[in-house]
Amino acid sequence: MQIYLVEAVLLIILILITCAVIFCKDILSAAIIYSAFSFCAVLLYLMMGSPDVAFTEAVIGTISTIFFVASLKKIDRWCE
Amino acid sequence: MRGLVAVILAVITATFCSVVSNLPPIGEAGSAPNRHVTPTYIERSAEDTGSPNIVTGVIIDYRGFDTMWETAVMFLAGLTTVLILTRNPVGRRLEEDVAEEGAVIK
Amino acid sequence: MIKLKDPFGGIVLNVAFRALVPFTIVYGIYVLCLGEFSPGGGFQAGALLSVGVLLSRLILGSDARFNVAGRTSIIMAGVGTFLYAFTGWLTIFGGADYFLDYNYMPVHMEPAHEMHALAIFMIEIGVAICVMMTIINLLDSIVKMGDDDGRTE
Repeated sequence: MQIYLVEAVLLIILILITCAVIFCKDILSAAIIYSAFSFCAVLLYLMMGSPDVAFTEAVIGTISTIFFVASLKKIDRWCE
Repeated sequence: MRGLVAVILAVITATFCSVVSNLPPIGEAGSAPNRHVTPTYIERSAEDTGSPNIVTGVIIDYRGFDTMWETAVMFLAGLTTVLILTRNPVGRRLEEDVAEEGAVIK
Repeated sequence: MIKLKDPFGGIVLNVAFRALVPFTIVYGIYVLCLGEFSPGGGFQAGALLSVGVLLSRLILGSDARFNVAGRTSIIMAGVGTFLYAFTGWLTIFGGADYFLDYNYMPVHMEPAHEMHALAIFMIEIGVAICVMMTIINLLDSIVKMGDDDGRTE
């Protein structure tokens, strides 16, 4: 299996973003970083040649970020 | 316990990394998903369904019954979320509402 | 304590909302209508259409004019699911032996795949309405209902 350089870079960025989400102290910034995870996943799906899945992932990533922010405002825990 | 979890995760990661070189390249004609039913869809979906997009043709025309229940499952999931998260005074009375009459249904 | 009846507000968010939402909705309708020819379809179009309502509800507050209020979203989600099943019923009404056999739509058109295109369009409208209203339902149940002491509005 061949792997392009762009794909390898995107996968490494994906792992780094996941570590950042896990070790982030602030909940709001974790929610924002998670949207970057969704964006990298969109680019990976496009590299694999499935624009339908990439489109769905882009829209659902946006909506899940909106839900996270709304829930954070609901429970009144913005940041330290 | 954490050491055991780390060892198990390391073994799983090593297993998957050893298999990566055997994956077929993207778009390979002889790979397993491209061999059995996919050529039929690619050949006939344009004239059968009248839709140039094969994904739409497969999802809505060939597998239309499947997608219908998928939509029904999503509707039921949303309805269940509303029913669980809404503390509705019709179904579950608050204490002060039970005390004063007529305040149950607004 | 911050209540969710207060909008997020701010002049930057208001101006960005006015610039962003019309394009989002137009793009959603474009994706819905061209779902047969390009990537996209009912699910993505419904999600895109719901983004406009979600943003208006979060930014302008719960008394926004561009809104799907109260129980309407639950009813409309059911209507969207019913529209899908209704298309299948139409084919049986047209004389088909099996459910969702698009060759027997009651509106007769000459090349057979024109009827397929009509049925696919109806089904995509149904899926889009169902997805849009389900996402609005989720935001409703997370944010608005069960506020503070648990009473509905």
